[in-house]
Amino acid sequence: MIGCIRTAHPALVAAWLTAPHLRGRALILGGYAQERGAVSAVSNEARAQGVAIGMGLTQAQQFAPEGIFQPVDEEATARVRQSLLSTLHRLTPDVAAGDDPGCAFLRLDRLTLRWPDRSRLLAEIACAVEGALSVSPAIGVAGSMFVSKVAADVARPGSPLIVEPANSAAFLGRRSIDILPLDDDLREYLELLGLRTIGGLQAISRPAFRRQFGIKALDVYDLAFGIDHRDWRPFKPPVRIQAAEPLDPPIDNTEALQFIARALAERISTSLLTYGLGTRALRITLSQETAKPVVIEVRFAYPVTTASELFDGIRPRLLRASISAPLERISLRAGRLEPGYVRQPGLLIRRDGFTESIADAVARLQEEYGASLVQRAEVHPDAAPLPDHRILWKPA
Amino acid sequence: MPDRLQQAITVLQTRFGSAAPRPAAPACPSRSSGIAELDALTGIGGWPVGRLSLLAGERGSGKRTLAQQSVASASREGPVAYIDLPGRLDPEFLSRLDTRLDRLLIVRPKTVTEAMASVRVLARSGVDMIAIDLPRRRAMGLDAELPHVLHRVAEAECTVLLIHDADADDAIRYYASLIVSLQRSAWIFGRDGDLKGVQVDATVVKNRLAPPGRRACWAVPYPIT
Repeated sequence: MIGCIRTAHPALVAAWLTAPHLRGRALILGGYAQERGAVSAVSNEARAQGVAIGMGLTQAQQFAPEGIFQPVDEEATARVRQSLLSTLHRLTPDVAAGDDPGCAFLRLDRLTLRWPDRSRLLAEIACAVEGALSVSPAIGVAGSMFVSKVAADVARPGSPLIVEPANSAAFLGRRSIDILPLDDDLREYLELLGLRTIGGLQAISRPAFRRQFGIKALDVYDLAFGIDHRDWRPFKPPVRIQAAEPLDPPIDNTEALQFIARALAERISTSLLTYGLGTRALRITLSQETAKPVVIEVRFAYPVTTASELFDGIRPRLLRASISAPLERISLRAGRLEPGYVRQPGLLIRRDGFTESIADAVARLQEEYGASLVQRAEVHPDAAPLPDHRILWKPA
Repeated sequence: MPDRLQQAITVLQTRFGSAAPRPAAPACPSRSSGIAELDALTGIGGWPVGRLSLLAGERGSGKRTLAQQSVASASREGPVAYIDLPGRLDPEFLSRLDTRLDRLLIVRPKTVTEAMASVRVLARSGVDMIAIDLPRRRAMGLDAELPHVLHRVAEAECTVLLIHDADADDAIRYYASLIVSLQRSAWIFGRDGDLKGVQVDATVVKNRLAPPGRRACWAVPYPIT
């Protein structure tokens, strides 16, 4: 069985987490009321006033003049999405992200070994999601992703809806054909034939449907019976690669520091190789005995994996670091992980296969030679006729 | 190409390998300098892409003004960089040339090594044009850096424009695909007696992409308001 966990739109959840007083208010996300743009997410209260996703913001204000308009916090929204999937992943590794925002699937078969009672299992899932996101999810359980998604859309938070596989066709039969992923042509044909519900579509035989609409439309036909051919794309939690070493007794010479850093680079390299990843940014944290920790960022032009490449980046920074007290801990954390195969040998293709954005290139140059190396200039022609007033130099 | 000719070339290539006749290399793409006279002078319609061009001339010959006009023109198309070794670049002058300052990266290196490292990294990241202002006394060590830089520049299809004093080093002359020598033929004064620009006499001393030796003379107005 597959469970579909549906929460409010992640952008809404992010807004509620940031400002809890917005709960229960008509909240419209996508921009401020006077701006040009479209509504990205709406709370139930705003939806009740007639605001819909995709509507213009000005029109939305006419429907909900008392509504609260806000732009979408993309970073927070992404964090909410990630948090939902990570929370479910802690229960079972069989988790997949849904196409709709705020929707995730998980296979319940393995979980039934731990929680044989299904209602208890669903309560645990709801509790876990509520603990992470402070929203109560709607849960639908069925034999396929599609049916479980429809069940979750119908279900209310706190009362899961379970559709046994044998009842899938009957459950779907009452629904409108609009819940099927129809293209415009197929929708038009079905409407011309007077088919408004999935039950009507189910009444057509499979060979007849195939003759009329072609082999590609058979996926839709199967969905009408609750058979979902879509691949299960499991969610992979973000990889965190870091290595640390406490230094006891604290060390105060760079030779020993390099030796330990080399060992840590090898550990990082092993982890990167395990995942087939390369890193483009490495953070070195040197904890000092009687002073603040020194944090050094190392940037690489392309994803590096081997210990020697990592250490080539680390060594000069360690030698340049201003360390004022003996070190009691050193830690390395690999960031900006990318597939390690990005870099191709120059013999095979003209370039060596990676592209670096100008912003990355500038950041790397500044990190290597100082922030003042690459600058941008702004000219203020209305300022006083003094170079310092008229020209504003700032690091790029 | 007629089929019979193509067939004959194939036969010759089978028999003689690399010694067989082959079609001429495609024309080098160019990036407009924003000055019609200079574009015509180069013979390919502007500064060659993926190669080093040298603007040489004595002080006051207008080479920096021309280079900055080229940078201004390129900035309207995409990102550009200006390597300012002498630290004399005036952004206000550039803005009067209608430079998109938001697309201009000004690099102020302390050494030639820093400058060349910046050129390599920026060229690779997709900067369209890089102008290097290199005074003669700072050119030490450039001969060792230029081959690496030009390799990257050719790969990245970036235009590199070097502004240098009259007597460029042998290494620069060797690696440059295009050398334009500038000479001031006259100052241009306005009716009120103020300096308005310079009359430049340009000669293509070296050109690997078109016949060298072309000469042109035009007025370079200073963007002074």
